[in-house]
Amino acid sequence: MTIGEITVSGVSKRFRLERNRPSSLKEAILRLGRNKDVDDFWVLRDVDFHIEPGTFFGLIGHNGSGKSTLLRLMANIHRPTAGEITTEGRMSALLELGSGFHPDLTGRENVFLNGAMLGLTRKHMADAMDDIIEFSGIGDFIDEPVKIYSSGMYVRLGFAVAVNVDPEILLVDEVIAVGDEEFQRRCMDHMNMLRERGTTIVLVSHNAALMRSLCDRVGWLDHGQLLELGDADHVIDAYLEHVSSGGGNTLTTRD
Amino acid sequence: MLTLSPSARKSVNLIIHFAERESKSRYKRSLLGWFWSFANPLTTVAVYSFVFGVVYNAQPPVTANGNAENFGLFLFTGLIAWSVFTGVVTGCMGWLQGVSDLRKKIYFPTETALLGGAVANAIQTALEAVVLLVIMALFANISWTAVFLVFSLLLTMAFALGIGFIVAVLNARYRDIQYLIGVLIGVGFFLVPIVYPPSLLDRDDVPEIGRQFVTWNPPALFVEIARDGVYFLQTPDPLKLLVAAAWAVGTFTVGWFYFRARSMEISEEP
Repeated sequence: MTIGEITVSGVSKRFRLERNRPSSLKEAILRLGRNKDVDDFWVLRDVDFHIEPGTFFGLIGHNGSGKSTLLRLMANIHRPTAGEITTEGRMSALLELGSGFHPDLTGRENVFLNGAMLGLTRKHMADAMDDIIEFSGIGDFIDEPVKIYSSGMYVRLGFAVAVNVDPEILLVDEVIAVGDEEFQRRCMDHMNMLRERGTTIVLVSHNAALMRSLCDRVGWLDHGQLLELGDADHVIDAYLEHVSSGGGNTLTTRD
Repeated sequence: MLTLSPSARKSVNLIIHFAERESKSRYKRSLLGWFWSFANPLTTVAVYSFVFGVVYNAQPPVTANGNAENFGLFLFTGLIAWSVFTGVVTGCMGWLQGVSDLRKKIYFPTETALLGGAVANAIQTALEAVVLLVIMALFANISWTAVFLVFSLLLTMAFALGIGFIVAVLNARYRDIQYLIGVLIGVGFFLVPIVYPPSLLDRDDVPEIGRQFVTWNPPALFVEIARDGVYFLQTPDPLKLLVAAAWAVGTFTVGWFYFRARSMEISEEP
C-alpha cells in the first residue's frame, strides 16, 4: 500500500443496544442464564470502497446514515464487526468538538498529548507549537485548562493541531462549521494547502455546497449502505435529487 | 535510545506522558504535595504499631542482627509490597476511567494509560523503598538480600497489573467492581500476614487449610519475600520464589491478553 491510501473492504458495524441492560453486577448475576434483551442495530452493512492517495473524499448522507461511524472506524476508534479497514500513513482525525482533548489539561499539555497519540516526538510538537497557537488564535489561553474554553476555541485548537502535525491522512467530521467566517476561511485555505501537498482528506458532512466546492470524489451512504460513489458533482446531484423528492429526511430506526 | 518500531516508540512516549500526568496531577492543588504520598503508609504503620505493639504488646519477630525489632518496621516492610498491589489494582480502574472519554474521540493504545499509571506508582514505591532501606541501614540491619525486596516489588507490580487489566475492563461495564475490589482489599489486608507474622498461625486450633492459604496466596508470598530480603536478611525459600514468579508472570499474561482482546470495546461503552 502506498502512503495516504485507505481501503474499506466489506465493512459492517453492528451496535448492540441492550434493552434494560443490567447496570450493576447484582442485576447481571440475577439475570444469568436468561436471554439477553438485545437489539442489533446495523449502522453499516457491507461497505466496500477504496480511496486513492491525495484524494479529497467526501461522505454524504442524511442523519444516521452511518457516515460518522464509518469515519470513526477509519480513525480506529471502533472495530468493524465484519470486514476490514486499512489505512497507510500518519492519520489525524477531527471527529467532533474538542476531539481528543483532556478537559483538565491545559491547551499546551493537550497539544503534547495529542502529538504523542499521533506518534510524534515532544520536540516535533514543541517546534510546531508556535504555528498551532498562531493558527488557533487562542493566545494566552493555551496555558489554561481546556475545560474553560469556549466551543469555538476548542474546535480552533483541535483543528490547529490536526493540520499542523503533517498528517498524511486527515479525517474531518463537519467540525469546521462551528468557527466564525474568518476561521472557516482559514480552514478551507489550510485544507487546500494539505491537498496540494498530497494529503488524503476525508470529510463527512451533509452540506452539499461545501462538499461540491471541496471534494474530488464523494460516497453517498444511506441506511448504512453505500448507494453511490463517484465524481463529486455527479453523486451530489443524485443525493440532492433524492433529498428533494422527500427520501432523505427520515431518521434511521431500528431494523 | 533503543531501536524501537514506530508503534513501540509511540507507546513508550504515551506511557511516559501518562506517568507524568499521574505524578503531577495527583497532588496538584495540595500545599504539601508529595508529603501526602507518605502520609498514608506512615499513619497505617503508626496506628498498627500502637494497637499491636503497645496495646497488645506483641513482639515482632527477631531481625537478623537482633537489634531492629520494631513493630513499625516489621509492618512497613510488609506494607510496601501490599500497597503496590492495592495501589495498582485500584489505580487501573481509575486510569482507564480517566481516559475513556478521550478514547471515544481519538485512537491510542489504551493499555498505555494503565502502564503509565503503574510507572508513576513504581516511582512512588521506589521512594518508599529508599526510606525503608535508609532506616534499616541506620539500625545496621541491611545486606545484599535487599535485592529480594526489589524482586518482590517487581513481581507484585506484574501480578497487580494482570489483575488490574481485568478489573479495569470489567469496571468499565459494571461500576460495582470498584466497590467490590475495595471490600476484597479490606479483607485481604488481614488474610495476608502484614500485621502479624505467619508463625502466629502455627497452632493446633488453626485449620491446616487456613494456614496454607495465608502462606501461599500470591500477595502473601510477595510480602514474605520482601520481608526475607530487608527484615530477616535471608534468602527466601526457592520454592516460594518460583511460585511467586509463576503467579506474577501468569497473571500478567492473562490480564494483558484479556485487556488487548477487550480494549477496543471500551470506546463503545455508553
